[in-house]
Amino acid sequence: MLVLALACVMLGAACEWRRVAAAGPAREPLLAVKAPPQPARAPRLVPHGGAGLIPMPEGVPAAHASALTVLPSGELLAFWWAGSRESAPDVSLYVARHAGGQWSAAQKVADRASLGRQLGFGVRRIGNPSAWTAPDGRVHVFMVATGLGGWAAARVVQLVSDDAAHGFSVQRMLPLTPLANTSVLVRSNPVGLGDGGWLLPAYFELRNKYPLVVSFDADGAPRWISRIGRSTTALQPALLPLSGTELRAVMRDIGPAHRIQQAVSHDAGRHWQDLPALDIPNRDDSVAALRLANGGYVMLHNDTLPGGSPRQWLRLSTSADAQAWTPALDVQRGVAGDEFSYPSVQQLGAQLHVTYTAQRKAIGHQVYDIDYPEAAP
Amino acid sequence: MTLPELALQVAWARLAWGVVAAAVLLAALPLRGARARAVAVALGLAVMWLPGPASPAFWLGLAFQQPSGLLAMLCAASVGLRFVDRPGLQVLPLPLAALLLAGGALLYADAAGALSLGLYAWGFDAVQAPLAGVLLSVLALAAAVRGRQAWAGWAVLLALTLHAVARLPTGNLFDALLDPLLWLWALGRCGSAAVLWLRRRRTSVTMS
Repeated sequence: MLVLALACVMLGAACEWRRVAAAGPAREPLLAVKAPPQPARAPRLVPHGGAGLIPMPEGVPAAHASALTVLPSGELLAFWWAGSRESAPDVSLYVARHAGGQWSAAQKVADRASLGRQLGFGVRRIGNPSAWTAPDGRVHVFMVATGLGGWAAARVVQLVSDDAAHGFSVQRMLPLTPLANTSVLVRSNPVGLGDGGWLLPAYFELRNKYPLVVSFDADGAPRWISRIGRSTTALQPALLPLSGTELRAVMRDIGPAHRIQQAVSHDAGRHWQDLPALDIPNRDDSVAALRLANGGYVMLHNDTLPGGSPRQWLRLSTSADAQAWTPALDVQRGVAGDEFSYPSVQQLGAQLHVTYTAQRKAIGHQVYDIDYPEAAP
Repeated sequence: MTLPELALQVAWARLAWGVVAAAVLLAALPLRGARARAVAVALGLAVMWLPGPASPAFWLGLAFQQPSGLLAMLCAASVGLRFVDRPGLQVLPLPLAALLLAGGALLYADAAGALSLGLYAWGFDAVQAPLAGVLLSVLALAAAVRGRQAWAGWAVLLALTLHAVARLPTGNLFDALLDPLLWLWALGRCGSAAVLWLRRRRTSVTMS
């Protein structure tokens, strides 16, 4: 028996040693950012026209939570979930393609049955997607798929496509908590790292809400998990890289401040510090943010009108430095009871594409031309 | 962070839930004779390999994902002990139950946001977690060869070996040694031991 026990210890130690040796010394990759033009400048956005709704699947009445990514070919992809109502058994994840100014018909990516078949266990609800096109052209989709219970039983499934998002297969269920791997969700899009990897923003929500970031390597394998700050009232982080090492997170607030929450990392997402909230209202609404290729930042967020409802007004703010924000334009301004929420944003050439939930019935789409006003002499 | 292949995880979930089901069946049913017990074990193991939603593993995975390596090994020990007619023996020794209870409370409080220690993320660490795993293996070896409650030492050792070799069940060191069901088992074990201790103390006080 002693020999057998010793053999187990030796075998385990050998396997772990091989893994530790293969990992080598830890060298954290930098964020993939170009040095911005100096001085830093905020973009100006001009509506391009062609706004509208992404065509829904035939006969499907409800939609929510879109995510955008751009293929190497320049095609824009929008992912969202749709079905008879939120949490209904028929809710599925869909994708549509935008090319030549037109959206394709929606194509189903996954549903409860297809996920259950590939995972080997059941999935109860389907929720938010987050999408990323890796430098090798593969499209990774991270989607919420719950266990037994509501959104607090959420888990995150990683799907991958090798054929430009025409077909997806389940890569894995990401292990993100020890609580039967429940209560972690995704919402906003990843940001790239210099070595081809990326950082996926995520969040925990079971009574306490806190934001997380998951690092992936260029092959799409998770590397590490880090909690963003110590707040228990911030969720749905959107990431803004400021330099190779400095990263900001702007977040939905469920606390008493009702302001967009912030945190900063000075080591490319590995460690975080909470910052004072921004002076932008947030009444439990999701935000989206993006660093533009030629400098400047944009953020989409809901704002409040006196006597209005929390999600009737969707605004776009711009910033030169991701610290001081100025409202730039209204993406949608409805009446009380309207909902324009859960935005997503991507840059494609000199245009900014914005999608959002439109009245929970469809996904809205707006296009803006990106311009940089000349500095006053 | 080195994770297991999805196909391996699916196979592990079915096998491990089968072992857990076999242990529960033997504990719950008043079966006499090795043959009846063997049939119950075979049934518990086989039913998990039914396709799709016909498999209880499909629904157990929906709720709990996979059992930890340690829960599966302790259940295997429980099944084995019933075949050697030692059903009254506590498979989960009190010291191990107390460790799991305390460690689990800390881990779950951290995961739920009550603390901010990043313990679960540490369970994926590329250097420190493997070192901790090897250290725990050596301690488990000592318990396994000491003779007293050796099966518990073996269960820990085999769970850690499974984690080191195949990264099962999730690639995280904590998931090899703990899951919510095992934590509840440890809670019940410690709770019942505490009740027994209080009763004995009350009896001894009354007699004196």
